[in-house]
Amino acid sequence: MKKKICSVRGILAICLFLAVAFASFATYYKIAHWGFSFKPHEGTEIWTVDAHISFIPTGEPIEVALSTPRLGAEYKILSEDVVAKGYTITKDEKNHRMIMKSAPKKHKQDIYYRIMLYDNEDVVGKIRDYNKPKVTKPTFESEQQRAMVEEIWKLAETQKEGTSAAKIIKLLTAEVLKPEVDTFLPVKKSQRIMAEKIMYLLSYKNIASRIVRGVKISEKRREAPADLMLEVYEGGKWMVYNIETGAAGLPKNFVVFQRGGVSLYDVVGGRHSDIKFSVIQSAVSSFKMAGKRAKYEDSRVFDFTIYNLPTLEQNTLKWLMIFPLGILLVVLLRNVIGIPTMGTFTPMLVAMSLVRTGFCAGLICFALIIALGLLIRTLLTRLNLLLVPRISAVVIFVILIMQVLTIFGYQYDIRIASSAVFFPIIITAWIIERASITWEEEGAQNATKQIINTSLVAVLTYFVISNTYIRHIMFAFNEWNLVILILVMQLGTYTGYRLVELKRFAPLIKEK
Amino acid sequence: MWEYFKIFSNPKKLRERGVLGMNARNYYIIGQHNKRSLYPLVDDKVQTKMLADKININTPHKIGVIEHQYEVKDLLRIVEGYSEFVIKPAHGSQGKGVLVIKNFANGIFTTASGKELGFNEVYKHVSNILSGLYSLGGQYDTALIEELVHFSNVFQNFSYQGIPDVRVIVYKGYPIMSMMRLATKESDGRANLHQGAVGVGLNMRTGCANNAVSHNLPIATHPDTGADLMTLQVPMWKEHLMIGALAFEMTGLGYLGADIVLDKFRGPMMLELNARPGLAIQIANCRGLKEVIKNVDKYYPKGLSAQQRVDYVLNNAK
Repeated sequence: MKKKICSVRGILAICLFLAVAFASFATYYKIAHWGFSFKPHEGTEIWTVDAHISFIPTGEPIEVALSTPRLGAEYKILSEDVVAKGYTITKDEKNHRMIMKSAPKKHKQDIYYRIMLYDNEDVVGKIRDYNKPKVTKPTFESEQQRAMVEEIWKLAETQKEGTSAAKIIKLLTAEVLKPEVDTFLPVKKSQRIMAEKIMYLLSYKNIASRIVRGVKISEKRREAPADLMLEVYEGGKWMVYNIETGAAGLPKNFVVFQRGGVSLYDVVGGRHSDIKFSVIQSAVSSFKMAGKRAKYEDSRVFDFTIYNLPTLEQNTLKWLMIFPLGILLVVLLRNVIGIPTMGTFTPMLVAMSLVRTGFCAGLICFALIIALGLLIRTLLTRLNLLLVPRISAVVIFVILIMQVLTIFGYQYDIRIASSAVFFPIIITAWIIERASITWEEEGAQNATKQIINTSLVAVLTYFVISNTYIRHIMFAFNEWNLVILILVMQLGTYTGYRLVELKRFAPLIKEK
Repeated sequence: MWEYFKIFSNPKKLRERGVLGMNARNYYIIGQHNKRSLYPLVDDKVQTKMLADKININTPHKIGVIEHQYEVKDLLRIVEGYSEFVIKPAHGSQGKGVLVIKNFANGIFTTASGKELGFNEVYKHVSNILSGLYSLGGQYDTALIEELVHFSNVFQNFSYQGIPDVRVIVYKGYPIMSMMRLATKESDGRANLHQGAVGVGLNMRTGCANNAVSHNLPIATHPDTGADLMTLQVPMWKEHLMIGALAFEMTGLGYLGADIVLDKFRGPMMLELNARPGLAIQIANCRGLKEVIKNVDKYYPKGLSAQQRVDYVLNNAK
């Protein structure tokens, strides 16, 4: 007999182990690949960056190439899309370039490249590169020019902090320029010219640098040209500098499209070409985003999860996913603690309605309905009705009480009362019926005790199922419901004493 | 704070005493020895009575059965000629819905507690029984009308109203533990321990009182009558045990509780059987059931007749 049971427990233990292992893996997978988190946040910020290339065809075959952000470099990419009618699109994965080809066209062409990006936690602004780049020393047209460069370097070295590159950049980007610097720089100081001048200065000291093109992500950025940054090779790493402010490090909101020698974009077979960037920021629920990520990673698994369902179904399932935990609690309270309640799942149903009504309002309403219901039930006793019609009468009375409460609640603006509608009518009627029978048979004390027990368990269940964290976790990591299932089954083999029995049987050991 | 936890006993000590808990009872005892398909035999008192008649177990004589609402009006015709009877639900438990009519004359029903009821009230009670108010799970039920037990005067001083009955726990056909349940003022004539009745643990060999409890606490005298409970001895003890042992033969349930009353004229009579008898009997006996069950599994011989088993218990029970 015992052996058989042990094997049942053994099987369940193995199942539990497998379930935990599976759930842990699934949880890890969801966090790592779909970006789920234990914290219930409402949404994640995502940015849609549009690169708009326009040009006028020259009548020759067209080939457009665009440098694209590297996957997973700074921002994570949700989706990548090209809108170019009549073009064949290929992706040069090695050089991170999008290539669009087409036969000759007549009218002005507009090509859109759209990427959706999210979180930039990985941004470090440093890119390791152990191959020291070659630097070509500048050639000077005149000795005067060389003197000017040396003068500026001297000025730069007077600063105490930072690497030489940082010093130069700081010097050139200062708000009030030194006269020497001012004469060195041209009057028109575009980003590009500034970058070239700095590179020129750096090359004199044999420091490698390159231009970085990308987009500064900020809201309401529409049809703006690409932004420039400077990368300087320092100690085996490419360090990014802002050429406008001189600050080191890649700004959090900068997306790199192109680096170094390659062009940002090329258009063959077109003239008057131009590229503009637009950025739109939006918030998306983390589950929706997970779907986009999963799609981008070519994961078919996601299609078969609840997160791929329409929001309405998702919300219903979110509501359902919390119940296994509530059921586990009920099992624990009954079989391990041993609290007797009216009906097995009645407390859970009451807890469910408490979630709908709000805690205090719900409890007050519940008490009111039960009290009034009991009163009416005692009146019904005198009428000598049969069981089914009598219960039906109680049900109708409960409905009427709810109606009255709701109407009064609305008229006198008592929000509490109007939440009465959310109570499950049949269950409430049964509680009243059971309580009234207990009242008659075992006295008021036992009846109140049972009602209080039921309410206590309901309140406890309420706190579990209404907790935002628990709800989020049980929905986002719904695989743990499998673990709960096995746990409940394991509790089915629990043959130890219930907590209340320890008290009940206490006289047995006190005796001798 | 710590003081509060002292009301809980140490589970280890309970285990040492061989106390059977609810979960263990359901899992090891009921789950293993009581086939679900046998339950209707004991849950339906009409069936139990028929089976008992076949195997010659004494039960109160049946007066009539009411199965449908339209038959309720025939109640007067059914009980015609009887001045005392009991109406009970066939699927009731714990004495719920039992109506004891001590005297019926001129259309007035007098209950055990002296309350006078009109036909309407009795009619309502019967129709409540039929609609399942007292049955397990609330399904439709039948009302059983039986002769009243003329309970023996032996226990007169030991019980405050109500019928004192003997509960015998039968495991694998061996009566292993028993107690007498005595009604009190508090229990309102009922014999349920949780409603305040007194439980007296009985010696399995003699039927003498071993120990008595009320509300889980040991007592020496009946709270209402003041009778010395330790002087209590159940007469015709062997016959009591025989009913228990035969109940196993009759139902095939490996673990059951038999409720037996002692009739003045007809001797011990089986009132009802229970496939899931409660655990309060352990407190009344101050003894764990698991300990006894282990003994039965280990040492008690198998394949004996009911008579032999009872003899074995009478000679060997501890």
